[in-house]
Amino acid sequence: MKTFVLAAALFAAGTLAASAQQLAPSPTLDAIKARGHLECGVHLGLPGFSFANDKGEWTGLDVDYCRALAAAVLGDATKVKYTPTSVQQRWPILQSGQVDVLSRNSTITFSRNATLGLNFQGINFYEGQTFIVRKKANVKSAEELDGASVCVAAGSTEEKNAADWFRERNLKVTITNFQKNDDAITAYDSGRCDAYTAGVGALAGQRAKLKVPDDHTILTKPISNDPQGPVTRYGDERWQLIVRWVLNGTIAAEMLGVTSKNVDEMKANSKNTEVRRLLGAEGGFGAMMGLADDWMYKAIKQVGNYGESYERTVGLESPLKLERGQNQLWTKGGLLFTPPFQ
Amino acid sequence: MAKAFAFINDKRVRDVFYQAALLIGLVALLVYFIRNASQNMVQAGIASGFDFLWRTSGIEVPFVLTNYTQSDNILALFWAGVANTMLVTVIALVLSTALGFLIGIARLSSIWLVQAIAGAYVEFVRNIPLLFFVLFWYFGVIAALPAPRESLSVFGVAFLNNRGLTIPLPDAGASFRYAFIAIAISCLLHWLFLRWARRRKEATGQDAPVLSVGLFLLLLVPVLALAWATLATRWDIPVLRGFNYRGGFVVIPEFVALLAALVTYTAGFIAEIVRGGIQSVPHGQIEASGALGLRPAQTLRLVTIPQALRVMTPPMTNQYLNVLKNSSFGAAIAYPDVVSLFMGSALNNTGQAIEIIAMTLAVYLVIGLAVSAFMNWYNARIALVTR
Repeated sequence: MKTFVLAAALFAAGTLAASAQQLAPSPTLDAIKARGHLECGVHLGLPGFSFANDKGEWTGLDVDYCRALAAAVLGDATKVKYTPTSVQQRWPILQSGQVDVLSRNSTITFSRNATLGLNFQGINFYEGQTFIVRKKANVKSAEELDGASVCVAAGSTEEKNAADWFRERNLKVTITNFQKNDDAITAYDSGRCDAYTAGVGALAGQRAKLKVPDDHTILTKPISNDPQGPVTRYGDERWQLIVRWVLNGTIAAEMLGVTSKNVDEMKANSKNTEVRRLLGAEGGFGAMMGLADDWMYKAIKQVGNYGESYERTVGLESPLKLERGQNQLWTKGGLLFTPPFQ
Repeated sequence: MAKAFAFINDKRVRDVFYQAALLIGLVALLVYFIRNASQNMVQAGIASGFDFLWRTSGIEVPFVLTNYTQSDNILALFWAGVANTMLVTVIALVLSTALGFLIGIARLSSIWLVQAIAGAYVEFVRNIPLLFFVLFWYFGVIAALPAPRESLSVFGVAFLNNRGLTIPLPDAGASFRYAFIAIAISCLLHWLFLRWARRRKEATGQDAPVLSVGLFLLLLVPVLALAWATLATRWDIPVLRGFNYRGGFVVIPEFVALLAALVTYTAGFIAEIVRGGIQSVPHGQIEASGALGLRPAQTLRLVTIPQALRVMTPPMTNQYLNVLKNSSFGAAIAYPDVVSLFMGSALNNTGQAIEIIAMTLAVYLVIGLAVSAFMNWYNARIALVTR
């Protein structure tokens, strides 16, 4: 009887271990490991979010997410190949498998989720759409734009948002659609339009591209909510899990007080079990997804937690000088919230 | 046995067989591609089919000729784009032909300066990409125009500024419809009169008062009809309110810039075709017409150009098709053509890439084949008839 119980227990343990290993192999993850780098789709050039400097190095909040993902998956934040995408190219490039993940200042919407074969894996930036106008036009809110002409990128959520918003309020506004954000803002700068519309974060970055940035002001009250975050294709659930939990991990790290500076010390000495699981000191959470157990340790060590990344790229330490606002942790009055590492 | 299979040695049978095999192969390949694409799309969870055309578009278009509004469906947006493409193409065709003829003839001028300027223009245009022209005209146009408050006023009814040219729009078009009917009738009468005059001249050698009748039917009648229609209609006259003029119809700077770019660019190529066509007419013909006592202008009109047209028509067809295709450059400067509206905005909102690209291709194909069919008909009509 004893041997039977033992045998049964061994059998059970054996099948469990086997099933853990068999659990949905990830073709995307295998491909990334085989080629040795992550393929990440980013914006053509949006200061603060994804922008290549004069040395060709990509920086920004969306780029930081790619780096954290590469650090978690490959152990090295530099092993990313960035593919700059326009508004028009972004979905086909992801759908066709040219990139593993899209981290590109793109609004999460129902119809994109339902019809494009795309999944949104969380929110790394809560954004509201607003307008940039000339200071001398003396406009304080979007309601005063009656009769104005507005430049916008064609096919963006902003294009439809603006059209709907003005129509609902019975305001007559001419909307001129450009193929690229940069074309739209150039046309605005040359006097073609009275206003240019995009998300607050994007406007803060693009304002720097104007001839005289100080002549322009960004309206404070947004007309929409545009949550943005990393996007994956349908299928490959294991890969989606990784994409989602790397984002959660960077936010959890900020909540738990883990930074790129104290991460070694926290991993060695922290008594907090959630910190220990996050950093791979216990629990084997990385292995559950087919990664090394120190996946988040590497991501935080090399890229920092969400707050560090925010301050460096779009926050007060950056030229954009955006307040944390709704992108603050929920414990500090913002919207950022992450499920626990349990 | 050998007899039963003798038909395989028949050349006609084999020709039919090879052609059928090629056709079946091509169709099979096409079916394979379509099936493959649709299977991949189903697997990737991407919606397909043409149902999206009936979704509300929600896209605001700044320059509409159809009665499209933002709350119409995507199919209506598509037609609005097609109409804008057709408008800019047709106007560009007419203007670039006129300018091209002028420059082409100037290149053959006996005045050195005229010839040099025309030659320099042609060389300049042919060596610069069209996109450069489009952007140059666009940013040039906008930079040159004043802000709405400092608009240039045309008699206080039309206003030019960097948002475009705002012109008065008739409230109801009824009187203009009558005016256009009147003009059409007078054009028809003129054509009939010319036919009658030619027959009579051939039969009796008597001249008819062609000039005075022509002036009356082609100039005075239209002017009177339009003047009457203008006075009989109530006009929606633009008024400055807030940011810009309200009311009227706005000709947007994107249209002007795209049209100017297409015309100046295409005229360079047409000029070369005109020059080549004229030079292809044997010099003896011109000498002969001089010997008959025709003046140089008459020689050009009656001898040179009719013969040159036969050489010019086929390459002109290519240029006309190029104008149609090049109108898609409007997308670079936000001219709301079919590429910009349908392949830009609608594609991004629906993600139906294959369907939308196929429909856009079909638009260019259908218009292109129509232009080409017309030009082939014209070519056949003017071709040298040997008796």
